Amino acid sequence: MRGIGKSFPGVRALAGVRLDVHAGEVHALLGENGAGKSTLCNVLSGAFGSYEGSVELAGEPVALHSPGHARRLGIGMIHQELTLVPDMSVADNILLGAEPRTRLGRVDARRMRDRAATLLADVGLRLDPRQPVRQCRIAEQQLIELAKALSGDLRVLIMDEPTSALADAEVRRLFAVIRTLTARGVAVVYISHRLEELEEIADTVTVLRDGGYVGTRAMAGADRAELIGMMVGRPLGELYPRPASVAADAPVRLRAERLTLTGDTRTGRTALHDVDVHVRAGEIVGLAGLMGAGRTEVLESVYGAHGPRAVTGRVTLDGVPYRPRSPRWAIRHGLAMVAEDRKAQSLVLGNTVRFNASLAALARFRRYGRVDRRAEGRAVDEQVAALRVRTPGTQAVVGTLSGGNQQKVVLAKCLLTRPSVLLLDEPTRGVDVGAKAEIYAICHRLAEQGTAILMVSSELPELLALCDRIVVLCEGRVTAELDRAEATQERILTAAMARGTVLTRTAAGRTEEEVHDR
Amino acid sequence: MRLRTLASLAALVLAGAVPAGCASTASPTTGGGGSGGHFVVAYSQSNNAEPYRAQLNIQLQYFMKKYKDVTLLPIADAKQSSATQVSQVQQFVQRKVNALIVSPNEPAPLTAAVKQACQAKIPVVILDRSVNTDCYSAFIGGDNYVAGKKAGELAVKLLPNGGTVGELQGILSDQPQIDRDRGFRDAVKANPKIRISVHREAKWLKDDATRITGQWLAQGQHLDLVYAQNDPMALGAYLAASSAGKEKSMKFIGTDGLAIPDGGIRAVQQGQLAGTFIYPTCAKQAAETVNALLHHRKVAKKTTLDIVAVTPDNAAQMYRDNDFSKFR
Amino acid sequence: MTGDATTATAEGPTRLVGWRRAVSLLGSLQGYIGLVLVLAFGIVTRGGTFLSQSNLTNAVGAFASRGILAVGETLVILTAGIDLSVGSMLGLASMVSAMLLVNQNLPPWVILPACMLCGAVMGLANGIGTTWLRIQPFVMTLATLSVFRGIDRQLSDNVSVGTQVAGADGKLTGNADSFQLFGTPGHNLFTGVVGAGVYYPVLAFVVVCVVGQLALSQTRFGRHVYAVGGNEAAARLSGVNTDRVKIAVFTLCGLLAGFAGPIDAAYSASADPLAGTSYELDAIAAAVIGGASLAGGRGSIVGTFVGALILTLLDNVLGLNAVSDNLQLIIKGCIVVVAVVLQRPDLLRGAADFVRRVARRGAPASTGRSS
Repeated sequence: MRGIGKSFPGVRALAGVRLDVHAGEVHALLGENGAGKSTLCNVLSGAFGSYEGSVELAGEPVALHSPGHARRLGIGMIHQELTLVPDMSVADNILLGAEPRTRLGRVDARRMRDRAATLLADVGLRLDPRQPVRQCRIAEQQLIELAKALSGDLRVLIMDEPTSALADAEVRRLFAVIRTLTARGVAVVYISHRLEELEEIADTVTVLRDGGYVGTRAMAGADRAELIGMMVGRPLGELYPRPASVAADAPVRLRAERLTLTGDTRTGRTALHDVDVHVRAGEIVGLAGLMGAGRTEVLESVYGAHGPRAVTGRVTLDGVPYRPRSPRWAIRHGLAMVAEDRKAQSLVLGNTVRFNASLAALARFRRYGRVDRRAEGRAVDEQVAALRVRTPGTQAVVGTLSGGNQQKVVLAKCLLTRPSVLLLDEPTRGVDVGAKAEIYAICHRLAEQGTAILMVSSELPELLALCDRIVVLCEGRVTAELDRAEATQERILTAAMARGTVLTRTAAGRTEEEVHDR
Repeated sequence: MRLRTLASLAALVLAGAVPAGCASTASPTTGGGGSGGHFVVAYSQSNNAEPYRAQLNIQLQYFMKKYKDVTLLPIADAKQSSATQVSQVQQFVQRKVNALIVSPNEPAPLTAAVKQACQAKIPVVILDRSVNTDCYSAFIGGDNYVAGKKAGELAVKLLPNGGTVGELQGILSDQPQIDRDRGFRDAVKANPKIRISVHREAKWLKDDATRITGQWLAQGQHLDLVYAQNDPMALGAYLAASSAGKEKSMKFIGTDGLAIPDGGIRAVQQGQLAGTFIYPTCAKQAAETVNALLHHRKVAKKTTLDIVAVTPDNAAQMYRDNDFSKFR
Repeated sequence: MTGDATTATAEGPTRLVGWRRAVSLLGSLQGYIGLVLVLAFGIVTRGGTFLSQSNLTNAVGAFASRGILAVGETLVILTAGIDLSVGSMLGLASMVSAMLLVNQNLPPWVILPACMLCGAVMGLANGIGTTWLRIQPFVMTLATLSVFRGIDRQLSDNVSVGTQVAGADGKLTGNADSFQLFGTPGHNLFTGVVGAGVYYPVLAFVVVCVVGQLALSQTRFGRHVYAVGGNEAAARLSGVNTDRVKIAVFTLCGLLAGFAGPIDAAYSASADPLAGTSYELDAIAAAVIGGASLAGGRGSIVGTFVGALILTLLDNVLGLNAVSDNLQLIIKGCIVVVAVVLQRPDLLRGAADFVRRVARRGAPASTGRSS
């Protein structure tokens, strides 16, 4: 196999892009959101019926017109959004469309399970193939997607931000799988916004900007600043802003004590055990931990998303007791949350920017029982401008915006409720570097204005740069609380993987203290 | 969420009440044997929801009460489903009732079930619609062809100088529709100056008849008479005509002649319909026949009942004779 | 959204812009095209008759009760639910109205709110079942379709109840006479004041549509309805009480069915125990032809209004032209498909892409500049 050459003259979303991928190589695609990376990959995977230009596979020109056709040619794709059927089992999902059959034409359930188990082992997952996908964590689902792509005779694998939902440990596992694939001669096209990841895994990198081709570099010889410059088209001085420290005597805005949540295996909800968290006014507190450590659950519990009965413990807002009953109640008390899954939990994708942005704050615009559209429009315009959402207008459909801009719309929705406590769950997932920096700046600005921010992120550098304090969770318990000065990636990871300590329940209290003392 | 608890409690209570209710209705039917000169009779009705059949049920219950040694089980409603009716008939056979009355929903599907009853030596009386077997004890019914024909004869009498007629039909594939249509057309041939200028399917429904007649009149159709294959459709046509101010210059003929406040006989009395035809419910004859069969008397294999015309002159009397509402 | 992503890449050379603009114009006109076609067909074939006020009144009046059901159905569909019990609710409400008139001799202005209350209670039951008991709307309303019909039949003892009640003098009683204003053909409101008067069912339908559309587009409740249908999780996390919204739309749907009950009873001057059977299908059809998506979050009352007009005027035009009953069924079914396709410009575009691809494959060497 030689590689792929292609070009797209005269297309708005993508114009004159070329890409050569060699067998056994990891070729990274870099670019801000909206640069055309996903579009390019969708063309390669046959998702679009028609395109301009030509594609060659192993020297042979091919016309890609459907995903099924692309798969038969040996091109597999892992999408940014997971494409698994939640109510089918893991095995059924992995072999969907390629089910082994008995001679009688029935699906051979046993061979299917065995084959699925082999593929799962290949990606380093230990899961019962009969388990429904609904019960798996997002990280596991990502790896199941990978197993699904491996089920065919694979020559080219395209991965669109495969690590956006993964914590560092799972990223390592994924990289190990990628390396075994390249050793087998598979070409990998890899999209990610995390430069440090690319430095580790990629051999070559191609940068796109605004649907156009900027250049290709060997990863080994490329320097980070240069790549960012190529992506953004302007030099970026400092990637992360340095937040000002908060005075230790600032009033505590949000305090949760002995926060406990009952688990739910059906929805895959992690149980929380006596979690203590507090956030001062103007402080940014990070929640770190692996997948399934209960970080999201802490935010959701405080926000009332699990209803009043599943949660116990004492929560106070500005010292006043507060019971997390429902999101509606939370918003009324000055809380706002950016949820983990933008498309599933935050946005009505088919509706407009304005509809989405004002949804949580409609009460503000009520006038004679109607929504005062002029006041609403003014407020939304203001917020859209302040957050620099790049959109054709507030009447544009949110689903047509890029990930970063969608996330800014979610932020706008939260900010329009004028929150005093902001809960952020992976606020920069699937967001390009430029937008990331802007989101950091927004957080910084809000904190300066006195907003208390509690933030979950899987990207440790992000937490380290942004947070005043980091609380580490493992299996629903707090295993460490680190000040800005003492926090390092190593210490966070150690605490996040402190499984042994939390498993010995009787010693749990003492162990926690030891972790604190370190 | 105390309300939610309440709601689930209510659901529980309901769930408990339903089997209890079933049990109480089921208990009198268990002693199905004919010992001691006491007979159990079952009736399978094709569809309780048609006014004509509701009337038949009331009348049958009334007439059966006159026979002290006969108990009529609660009437089984097949709700217009042949499959339901087959299983109901089979259940009655299993229960070994002493006699069975069936108003078949459709001939073909019921044939096998009736045969089973016959093989179990249970006398079967078939009402109104036939089945495709001879293995039954008696058939009692009216004649739809005659009903149509008599309506046609009335039309000929009402239009001595000829004229245009609109016909509102029931569901086109229903056998009564086919027969009534044929009878009516045969009869109006007696006067060649009578022309059926429009005819449409109104599915036995009043709403549809109103709408369709409205369209005819909007089209500028001149109609001297509307023949509807049942009374609700005739009354629907009357409503449409009166809304166009033409009810005085037109005549309306219906069929069925139910003695209910909303029925055809009352409408004839009030002058809305020129006439209707009592399609017999067969209830009285059915009760007599079943009683005769239970006492091993001989009955006629096939009885066709007369179609009685209701005219403005006899309408009041007819209403009194056929009104069973007080026995409900 | 995928459709828009497709646009971004698939549409390329500028020569296609004109064609795309035409397609999207078609799309934005949506159901109106169907209405225009039906109107044009009617005017061309039966000009004066079709356009006469009495014919249009008849046509719209005959569908008014179903149209009102369709408005309620649209609200439910917008929240990604469905209400199959509207026909039964209408039947029961119409029976209640006739019985209140005949047995209690109540005036219409008492009957109407009583029926609406009755409908609202039924709708509330649907709402509670779908939210607190977590029964899927399809299943819940399928069950209540049967329950409400059963109550209706039990109340009436399977005998239809005439509303033209005569007093001792042989004339209609006062209340029965005014009950006719609910829609007995030929009885109009404000006769003499506004020409030949206003036919109440038509007026009621139009008013319900206007109020419904304003509520959807102008109020917080309307926004919440769209949000719940578009993305329930997002709506909940944005502080929308999703259960309350769902209960509200089901209750409103029932309320409207109750409102339509007396109209149906007056239209046929009697309440039939089977009245309203399968009306739910007409209601859903009107909503869907009007652009509502059964997946929720998309649709409008104006659209439903147009959908209802298409259905009833098509029936009227076909009737006026004496098209056979069998053919009418075929045509009506096809119209539903055409109307739905017209609302989906992406489908048309997909077809255009396919045609272009086939054409390109026919002449392989002529395209594709290689890099």
